[in-house]
Amino acid sequence: MSNSLILAIDTSCDDTSTAVTAGTKVLSNVIASQTQLHAPYGGVFPTVAKQAHKENINQTIKVALKRAKVSWEQISAIAVTQGPGLAPALEVGIAKAKELATQHKLPLIAINHIEAHALSPLANSTTQHQFPVLAIVVSGGHTEFIKITQIGEYKRLGFSIDDAAGEALDKVGRMLDLGYPAGPVIEQFAKKGDSKKYSIPLPMTDREDFNMSFSGLKTWARNKLEQLETQNPIDKQGIYDFTASFQYGVFRHICYKLNKLLKKHKIHEVWLGGGVATNITLRRMIRETLKSYNIKLLTPYSKRLCMDNAAMIGIVAGFKFQRKQFVKNIEDLERLPRWKVGS
Amino acid sequence: MKTINITKALEKKVVDATVKILQSGGLIIFPTETIYGAGVDATNQGAVDKLLTYKTRREGKPLSIAVPDQKTAIKYVEINEQAQKLYQRFLPGPVTVISKGLGKVACGVESEFGTLGIRIPDHALVLKILKAFDKPMTATSANASGKRRPYKIQDIFDNLSNKQKNLIDLVLDAGELPKNDPSTIIDTTLSTPTTIRMGKIKTTGGKTLISKSESETKKIAGMMMLKHWDEIKEKGLVVGLDGPLGVGKTIFTKGIGKFLKISDTITSPTYSYIEEYDYQRHGISGKLYHIDLWKIENEEELKRLKIEKLIVPKNVVVIEWWNQGKKYLEKITGLKILIQETNSHTRKLFINYE
Repeated sequence: MSNSLILAIDTSCDDTSTAVTAGTKVLSNVIASQTQLHAPYGGVFPTVAKQAHKENINQTIKVALKRAKVSWEQISAIAVTQGPGLAPALEVGIAKAKELATQHKLPLIAINHIEAHALSPLANSTTQHQFPVLAIVVSGGHTEFIKITQIGEYKRLGFSIDDAAGEALDKVGRMLDLGYPAGPVIEQFAKKGDSKKYSIPLPMTDREDFNMSFSGLKTWARNKLEQLETQNPIDKQGIYDFTASFQYGVFRHICYKLNKLLKKHKIHEVWLGGGVATNITLRRMIRETLKSYNIKLLTPYSKRLCMDNAAMIGIVAGFKFQRKQFVKNIEDLERLPRWKVGS
Repeated sequence: MKTINITKALEKKVVDATVKILQSGGLIIFPTETIYGAGVDATNQGAVDKLLTYKTRREGKPLSIAVPDQKTAIKYVEINEQAQKLYQRFLPGPVTVISKGLGKVACGVESEFGTLGIRIPDHALVLKILKAFDKPMTATSANASGKRRPYKIQDIFDNLSNKQKNLIDLVLDAGELPKNDPSTIIDTTLSTPTTIRMGKIKTTGGKTLISKSESETKKIAGMMMLKHWDEIKEKGLVVGLDGPLGVGKTIFTKGIGKFLKISDTITSPTYSYIEEYDYQRHGISGKLYHIDLWKIENEEELKRLKIEKLIVPKNVVVIEWWNQGKKYLEKITGLKILIQETNSHTRKLFINYE
């Protein structure tokens, strides 16, 4: 693996992040987010992020270089998220990356944010990997199965046709008055509840494809809650049981499609990335699904690598650097808000 | 520093000694139903500064406060309907409820957004101390920032410098606590709705359509687009959608997408606020913008979406949770649709109901 140092920037949604990486090694990974300001509260102040990115980006670059203990002379390339993401937010990162590449006369590498989530389990990993690999990306914005024949060669085998899995968890949490985003609260409460208390439907079983749908589960949750509330106000244990059942329903749907996919496709390893990849119950349920196929699950080494971050952008850029896949005309690089991997 | 073994000492003596120390601006380490906490008088600036020094790297993170009951809590925060439900269900217990603060605590306790977390610990002795003290006490974990969760006093001391240790005035040692997770934090200051307030919306005056299935909803959406096709070509069309979470607003948008012959799957725009699709229908090409105002809290955030700029000939701009932004979008006219559920498959669609 090349040791060329890459400075990577991600401004795809709410968080502004800059990282320095060398191959798959993470030297620094700075994330300036409302989440961090509110870390003890675990919540995000939802914000349309363009202004926030502009205010944060220079600071994250400075801190990323400092924490990595490197100077500009040591950097070999700039990498930036080109998409998918929120258009005005992406623009801020791209403009800054263009400016830095020109100023320091460095090649620029454009990265897909979902590819980066898919490869995020490689961060600081030194083991050899056996392809084909199936990457599962589960976050507040995406739920996808991506087959990786080799690094750089992808085929999207399935995706959510409506809400992302994390979004469904967040929204049902909101229905239960657990704030927003409520995914992390649901995970904690679900530990105390009975996941079999309510039998939740399994969507999309009549289809042969590997696509998923979570909006029906959301509708089921709202109807069930209304029905329960008409009997008695739901108490503490009721909330625990409901969150446990709903979370189980969401993850069971993913695992059902995963199992279906593994019957059709020969896969050697499964990599899990995205914000919901931190959920221990999801990891356990995926491991159980993989057991009969004798496939191991690889997850990112830290929570920061699961959330939106620039280190994962740098890791993909490391591979692209080796293949010399640089942006040809830096000035012409434009955001791709709906850029898909392997479809 | 003094240590009291609370499993052996007389309760009244412990309460009296602790209150005395808190009143004089002291820092105590106390047990809860989760982990050990570090407490000072949350209204005493000197005491709070001392606590912040003890905790080291705070980087602007707010503290929470412990109070004995909701009656005390309302002196320090505004409790809304959502918070009220949480208090009833979970408190006292391992949940911290964040509300809008009233500015009645020392600097550095409320967040920079003016919010404050309230904790009512499910721990008999701590509740007695709080009642006797009659003021809020900070309720942050007793470890220095970034160090391991403190379940026993030794966990804390292993990671403290002498300087930090010297800041502690009293330790209430309850031995090793059961390994419960720290409290779950729930923010009630965001206004993301679960349903629209029906009281404020008149559902009369317009036209009502009934859909008996998802595919019928999509068909209705397509028919409405056909009806407005000239308007789309000449001026562009805004479609405002309302209805509770999970009623089928995105299904309706999928119908619009189908009419516009968009092959890309139309997915929920909640995460990205705005999704953009190119379309080509009968030689006309334009864009479909799918916007979600659910997470939009104020006018400033809404302005950043620059919705007015999207409304140009040939574009269709679908706005979910229209009512959430209505007051800032008064100049924008278009089709308004409210979707209501009558049973699990049937939906009532109120068209231009105002």
